[in-house]
Amino acid sequence: MAQIEQSSGGGKKKKGAQKKMQIHVDFTPMVDMNMLLITFFMLCTTMIKSQTLNISLPSNEKVEAAEQNKAKESEAITLILATERDSQGNVKNGPDGKPLNTIYYYEGKPVVEDADHDGLIDNSNLKVEYFIGNEGGETQGIRNILHNKNKEVLKRIEEQKTKWRNKEISEDEYQALAKKIRNDSTLTRPVVIIKATPEASWESVITALDEMQINQISRYQIDNINQVDSVLILDYLAKNRK
Amino acid sequence: MGKVKIKRKSTLIDMTAMSDVTVLLLTFFMLTSTFLQKEPTTVITPSSVSEIKVPTANVASVLVSPEGKVFIGIAGDADADMADIWGSEATRKQVLEQAASNYKKYTGKDPQITTADLDKFAKINMFGVPMENMHAFLNLSQTKQDEFISDMSNPQVGIPMKEIVYTDADGQKIVTNEFQIWMRAIYNSGNDNLQSAMKSGEGIAVKADRGTPFSTVHQVLDNLQTMKMNRFSVMTALKTEQD
Repeated sequence: MAQIEQSSGGGKKKKGAQKKMQIHVDFTPMVDMNMLLITFFMLCTTMIKSQTLNISLPSNEKVEAAEQNKAKESEAITLILATERDSQGNVKNGPDGKPLNTIYYYEGKPVVEDADHDGLIDNSNLKVEYFIGNEGGETQGIRNILHNKNKEVLKRIEEQKTKWRNKEISEDEYQALAKKIRNDSTLTRPVVIIKATPEASWESVITALDEMQINQISRYQIDNINQVDSVLILDYLAKNRK
Repeated sequence: MGKVKIKRKSTLIDMTAMSDVTVLLLTFFMLTSTFLQKEPTTVITPSSVSEIKVPTANVASVLVSPEGKVFIGIAGDADADMADIWGSEATRKQVLEQAASNYKKYTGKDPQITTADLDKFAKINMFGVPMENMHAFLNLSQTKQDEFISDMSNPQVGIPMKEIVYTDADGQKIVTNEFQIWMRAIYNSGNDNLQSAMKSGEGIAVKADRGTPFSTVHQVLDNLQTMKMNRFSVMTALKTEQD
């Protein structure tokens, strides 16, 4: 492991001069052991800490009808999430590898009219969108719908953001201002009601909640799907399969 | 003929520098590592843009497996000075004691939890067995426990959500279930920091897989709502730019 080599420097040596000794310590086993330990720690660590998303649900008590109507019809938008699944219950992926999540949505109250009594709803206000996110710097899909609904707030927050980027205000100031703008009742802000079909994936629910964060929407809630919603979806599917 | 002398060269490589580097790396990994917590089932959480970090202390995490089984993990206060009263182990002991006594009160069945069981329970990171099997579960060896709890097809695994109806002395009907008993016990465990974290919503973390149907997660959310724990957090992974 460790050996002492005598330097064979020159032929002649002065008598009495100290012999130069070189000490070699073989570090190979030490390196071996360190590598093993590193491997162990690398495999055991979680470098990425998971994030959390805070949500608050409305209380479970029966909300009075009057209270429910408080949300102005023009401001309310209801999203109903659905995910396609195969016969085994696994989430189906689209051609781009992303799960097939569909968002049915309607603004205000659902419209259910069947004047000619043929069992199909004549005039439904249910529309369909998808989670596309941003494409080419422009908001797409459901994000675009929500973006337009919350235009006033977003515009004001964007102004503050530019100020913050130009270092006119600090980050704390920006956050405080953004919060104030989000909760400013003088602006037209949407009320988003998120519903999900039983087979909708958890990911789609989180993505929907995420869109609320992205679009700075402060008023949203998770609600249970009701019969009217299911009827609207079934009707939509029936019409579009033809 | 004179012999040609081949000079033998030493093949020793100086490993000192290499050793220096490995020690540095080792130090880095040792300092940054947080060990993976044992969980009965692996779930891939959905991604979100939220940048709030998961707290490691004072949190009750609820894990929902894709099969709909529910597990609870409890982490107490990280403050070493408070370890005896509010630390993870002390908190867990309190929780089991409370949950067991409430279970006895509501169902009339005694889960027969002994002091030795409390000590064993304090070591468990995440649990999920019906209360009536808790005693038997705690008497298994640790490897057997892990094996038992990882079997998702076993109906005895997971905290049952079966309704328990209890009529109290005033004739008032109380409908509860084991999940609610556990969550209440955690809330009332005497750890004030955990309680305030649960009030603000940071102390309850719900974790579920991406593909889990909403109806499965909803039963947990519904129970939390019933208990008026309306604020909580859900665990997500950080969204990358492409998502």
